[in-house]
Amino acid sequence: MLEQVKQKARAILERKEADGVLGLRKGPFDVIHPHVFTAPAELDALVLEPKWLFAKMARSILRDRPAPYRLAVVVRGCDERAIVELAKRGQIDRDRLPTIGYACDADQARACLCSRPYPEKLDAGTAVDGIDPFADERVKAYLGGKAAERMEKWAAQLRRCIKCYGCRNSCPICICVPCKLEDDVWVERGVIPAEMVPFHLIRAFHLSDTCVACGACQEACPVGIPLMTLQLSMRAALKRDYNYEAGLDAERKSPVLFDFIKEPRPGQQVPDWVDSAGKKP
Amino acid sequence: MNPEFIRTICPYCGTGCGLVLKVEGGRATASYPDRENPVSRGSLCVKGWFAHEFVHHPERLRAPLLRKGDSFVEIPWKEAIALAARKLRETADAHGPNSVGGLASAKVTNEENYLFQKLIRAAFRTNNVDHCARLCHAATTVGMLQTLGSGAMTNSISDLAGADCILFIGSNAAESHPVLMGEVYKALDRGATIYVIDPRETPVAKNARRLLQINPGTDIPLLAGMMRHIVDRGLHKTDFIEKRTENFEALRTFLQAWPLDRAARETGIPESVIREVAEAYAKAENAAIVYCMGITQHACGVANVIAICDLAMLCGHVGKPYSGIYPLRGQNNVQGACDMGALPNLYPGYQPVADPAVREKFQKAWKTELSDKPGKTVTELITAAGKDIRALYIMAENPCLSDPDVNHVMECLQRLDFLVVQDIFLTETARFAHLVLPAACFAEKTGTYTNTERRFQLVHKAVEPPGAAKTDFEILCLMGEALGLAFDYTTPEEVMAEYAGLVPAYAGISFDRLERAGLQWPCPDAGHPGTRFLHGTTFTRGLGRFVVPDYTPPMEMPDAEYPYYLNTGRVFAHYHTGTMTRRSPFLNREIEAPYVEIHPADAAALGVGPGDRVRVTSRRGSIVTTARISDRVVKGSIFAPFHFTEARANVLTNPVLDPACKTPEYKVCAVKLEKDHEAEAR
Repeated sequence: MLEQVKQKARAILERKEADGVLGLRKGPFDVIHPHVFTAPAELDALVLEPKWLFAKMARSILRDRPAPYRLAVVVRGCDERAIVELAKRGQIDRDRLPTIGYACDADQARACLCSRPYPEKLDAGTAVDGIDPFADERVKAYLGGKAAERMEKWAAQLRRCIKCYGCRNSCPICICVPCKLEDDVWVERGVIPAEMVPFHLIRAFHLSDTCVACGACQEACPVGIPLMTLQLSMRAALKRDYNYEAGLDAERKSPVLFDFIKEPRPGQQVPDWVDSAGKKP
Repeated sequence: MNPEFIRTICPYCGTGCGLVLKVEGGRATASYPDRENPVSRGSLCVKGWFAHEFVHHPERLRAPLLRKGDSFVEIPWKEAIALAARKLRETADAHGPNSVGGLASAKVTNEENYLFQKLIRAAFRTNNVDHCARLCHAATTVGMLQTLGSGAMTNSISDLAGADCILFIGSNAAESHPVLMGEVYKALDRGATIYVIDPRETPVAKNARRLLQINPGTDIPLLAGMMRHIVDRGLHKTDFIEKRTENFEALRTFLQAWPLDRAARETGIPESVIREVAEAYAKAENAAIVYCMGITQHACGVANVIAICDLAMLCGHVGKPYSGIYPLRGQNNVQGACDMGALPNLYPGYQPVADPAVREKFQKAWKTELSDKPGKTVTELITAAGKDIRALYIMAENPCLSDPDVNHVMECLQRLDFLVVQDIFLTETARFAHLVLPAACFAEKTGTYTNTERRFQLVHKAVEPPGAAKTDFEILCLMGEALGLAFDYTTPEEVMAEYAGLVPAYAGISFDRLERAGLQWPCPDAGHPGTRFLHGTTFTRGLGRFVVPDYTPPMEMPDAEYPYYLNTGRVFAHYHTGTMTRRSPFLNREIEAPYVEIHPADAAALGVGPGDRVRVTSRRGSIVTTARISDRVVKGSIFAPFHFTEARANVLTNPVLDPACKTPEYKVCAVKLEKDHEAEAR
């Protein structure tokens, strides 16, 4: 699989389809770090592990370099879906960001609770079946049981928060400036742990229709809060009620923003719309 | 031009997290966690995520500055170096070698600290070299040398995940060492029991089984009560004690004076709770004690450390992978600065200056004669400034904010004939200097830091320093040459080769071997994998030695005139004197201004509300700051963070020293509080 990715990257560079290829480089002493490869000869050092997600990084690289600069990027399935979401929001010009997609293996899928461990545009590797995250014991521990028990369990986890902003910083879709989590109207400054509702639930709701389940937030969390699990329920609700999954269909926009009236929950009547001022539109 | 990604180490706390700096057009534009760093493993706290922010701050020093009256003028490097060398040399010639001193730094690399202490010792034949570890963990070094033989953390950070019981004593790790908490919570998920012993409720306490809010400065009564109970119940590890330790009878005799009711009375903690914690610790298969400045910054700081070692040895909780003692070093290279001999009584590798054989070794290596007399500590150097000490060379330290009783510090520094300060910003201390030398920061140099778990880690240069600023390494080489020493090092790697040759425990350390994951010393040869935990089969000193911890109540207790206890410490978004974090927009926004935490009952009695301006006064000085009402502090105590120059908490603190290690008693002093009516009038 690695050879296929290298071959694809080499072809892109040789045909000058991109100014560089963003991926992981294993340098001297086996040290691994992100790198923009610019010469075919460099590609011997390209590796695929450990998991680094490049969508947000690619966005900032493209933003700082106007067309005709083009960047190719090595992506897993989740990274590709993040790019799709960013493109829907006008944050990435996909014509300037060709992808080299490769499939994750079953172990990675299990570790990430991933239901779709491969990109749509698969250039290397073989797609394996994803897992059902709701069948996983780690998820059941937080989403099963009585509401009061769940609340206490979540509260115990969120009390650990050291307010590092790692979840926000590492989330590929979390790009708003200014950020509500930095606003002291919502989040009290100078205090840890960050509060459950104004910090964690605001973040979760802000991503409710854009989360691509990449797991970056949880991996960045120094104290191990199961942030992915927090997001899974909202993804499931969107799937159930609107048949929508973030990051899949490049043309389809979020139903939360665009489709509420047209696509209510199956069997449910269109609600009588009232805005917060009590007036009908 | 495409961005580059440079792997380096966070410049803030002693955890030593790995980070990757994104560099574009010569600027560090973002920080990411290093997925492969063995300490942090893909995590960073808020300081690490924004570590790049201060690097290009417009206030960075760019050229040497010479004082002219009340201001500074820029001068060329050649002139600056010549002036510094001449002034220091003239002072030593006129007033004797011990009239010159140097303050090294817990923030610069191992190689730079090594060169600094070598410079002071070899150029001036004095051992007047120290650094801010004196203010933090000198008590650890002294206490643990006596009991275990080494002042280093006994285990690795990741081993906390395997502990079954963890005691936090005087450590607010969630704010001062946030990423390390990940390992603690892994232990919690495994069913471990956590207890927090602190006068103040810390974020760790929110997740602990129990918080023991002891009376300030009563750690020894608590530990003695615990040990007494453990021995009475026969829970101590007699086999371990018999085979691996000595002097147990002395401890047993000492414990006769500490029945549980006395411990309860002194600490304010009920007997039943002391029993619970004692049994939880003693019965655990693996147990850890995590402590920090709440233990060391007392007049009986050394005795506090000794008591912790006694407890650990009593229960056999040392010398195993998941059992040990965790003194958390505060700054990123304070472990390294001590390792490199930036101490008045110890050469690199904790080799005593008073030992003739050791001195002979260093004299031979450095081709010069060295003083056999231990030098002055930080606190002594400053107090003697203008008297016995006439010239000081300060590298990346800020005693005008970090030392206790800072009004006194400023008075002393102003008495010096010559003060040279080498730093990255014009700090509160640099403002008093006769000469300021602009230095490179962590992103602008190559070298090594050693974190709190004894791991040497490489930092790589990512960007050029601003203007004419130079790395401390370059500056020290220039100074060495100007003072007549053969400081002809081309790279920091050559410096490492030198100290690795002088310290057996570092003999196996080399830049190449550190590239991937760093190495934990002791590392005695090039094939050695590094040492995950210490004292495995034998203690560093041979047998562990029980030492009687003499208890001294805090030197200054509240009274009618000064009725409140003041406790000082750190907050999560800032780092020490705030030189870097307060110039990071994201971090500074989190906590922009100084404050004092007051208990609701005390606030009500004083008529103080949240946001009110209050005057806090001790016998040494007074500050005006903003009130926060919080039950994190107990009634009768207040807490002030020490990062802020606008309201310097250390104006208030007590410079009384632990006699054994000369560490000030920062953690307790008596103050009075009143609403600041002047502010009201405005």
